[in-house]
Amino acid sequence: MRPLAFLVAAMPIATAAAPPPTGPLDLSTRVLAEVRERNPDGTTRIALAAPGRVVPGDRVTVLLDYRNTGRAPIADLVLANPLPAGMAYRGPAANSPMPEVSVDGRRYAPLAALTLAMPGGGARAANAGDITHVRWRLARPLAPGAGGTLAFVATVR
Amino acid sequence: MFTTLRHILLGGTAIALSAGIAQAQTQPPAGTTAGTPIVNKAKATYSVNGAPGEVNSNETTFLVDRKVDFTVVAQSAATQVNLGQREAVLTFTVTNHTNARQDFLLDPDQQNLPVGILLGIPGSDDFNVTNMRAFVDDGNGQYDAADTRTWLDEMEPDETRTVFIVADIPATGTPTLAHISLHVIAAEGDAAGTQGIALIETSLGAANRDDRIDIVFADNDSDGPAVLGDTARNGQARVYAAYQLGTRAVDLSVVKSSRVISDGVDTLVMRALPGAVVEYCLLVSNANLVTPATNVVLTDKLPAHTTYVAGSIKVGGTCLLGGEAQDDDANDANDGRVFSGSYDGATRTVTATLPSVIGPVAVAAVFQVTID
Repeated sequence: MRPLAFLVAAMPIATAAAPPPTGPLDLSTRVLAEVRERNPDGTTRIALAAPGRVVPGDRVTVLLDYRNTGRAPIADLVLANPLPAGMAYRGPAANSPMPEVSVDGRRYAPLAALTLAMPGGGARAANAGDITHVRWRLARPLAPGAGGTLAFVATVR
Repeated sequence: MFTTLRHILLGGTAIALSAGIAQAQTQPPAGTTAGTPIVNKAKATYSVNGAPGEVNSNETTFLVDRKVDFTVVAQSAATQVNLGQREAVLTFTVTNHTNARQDFLLDPDQQNLPVGILLGIPGSDDFNVTNMRAFVDDGNGQYDAADTRTWLDEMEPDETRTVFIVADIPATGTPTLAHISLHVIAAEGDAAGTQGIALIETSLGAANRDDRIDIVFADNDSDGPAVLGDTARNGQARVYAAYQLGTRAVDLSVVKSSRVISDGVDTLVMRALPGAVVEYCLLVSNANLVTPATNVVLTDKLPAHTTYVAGSIKVGGTCLLGGEAQDDDANDANDGRVFSGSYDGATRTVTATLPSVIGPVAVAAVFQVTID
């Protein structure tokens, strides 16, 4: 997978005391809120900003920044993000590949293939609000120095 | 209590406004409680030269801010009152859609709206009530002496409570309509029994920090864009209702007619000869198309030189068709299902009782006599 040239790379980053990398992989996460900004021509556009003002129903983007800081390629890379309580998954962010999702943290599949056990027996098709985990699996090894950003969109419950 | 507001209708006079009362909307639940930290942390697993490894990311945290939203609904647009009525009640409900516990301040105002289109009732505001106050219901849905609190204290997310406006109606004059509005203002909660101060939105220009609970107003324009009593996202709502003194008098009229239905001589041109049967019809109508006249009692004394035809009373139809047949005794229980009638031979009086007469349908009572 190619590193992503992510649109928001230049946005202010909440560099909240990232722990020192413990291995060759440097992984950090950011959450940015969607804000409406006014263009000079009077139209508005959606921009991403630090989540200073977020209320239920607002859309946020969760970003995973990863980079190989070691000298050897990193293989079999799986980046997983359990959804925080209070957040509901909505979909991949623009320019980010579709993640695999799970409603239990064990079985990952496309959303359409997931079911949820009903109380009292039976099962129903899962919907986006049921998702508890998302993950991306990188098909190709990550070369030294290479990295990228993966992201998904969620709403605050 | 704030001063009386005068509102300006922006859009002319003859437009059908969708503004006003009872904009009941289906609202989503209030959501994650304000102040809840949302913590995100990712994890990666990998292998380097066949050796497995894993790494956790940093934790990134932000606080859910307070989304102030609520709705106010008037139970009815216009409430009928009487001259001189004390403590006339208007009923409202307030629902807190905020994701936090909070107070609401209540501010009843008298309005001076030029026309009543806001309320869906005709007429202009032409009087003011006195001694107007707002009280919170104690839970029984009725205004009573136990309802003394004047602000909504500690409302939980998604909770609904009932609020009353109570006022005295003037005892004199010819008033018809007083427009009232209930102005509701979101206020700080978290101090039970204490009236909180009105919330102030955290300004957009201020540094909205991740670790502080901002106040965000998300309430709608409760009275619509054409009326300036409320605007969207101001932490306030204004809902209208009215005290109405009805000119509710019914306007009954009775037309009596007669026709000869047989004279024993000719079947084509019947004349009022001795022995002829004459049918009288009392036709009752009510010119008030809205308010029914109830328990209308018609009495008619037979003219001299006539004799009542036993069992000839029919009530509830038209002059020609007659309606329900009635018996002659004074007991109404064995009369027709809706109407009743009787004949008193001592006073030579026919009586018919009509439970309800409402325009534009006229109701007839017919009976027959023979000419002596």
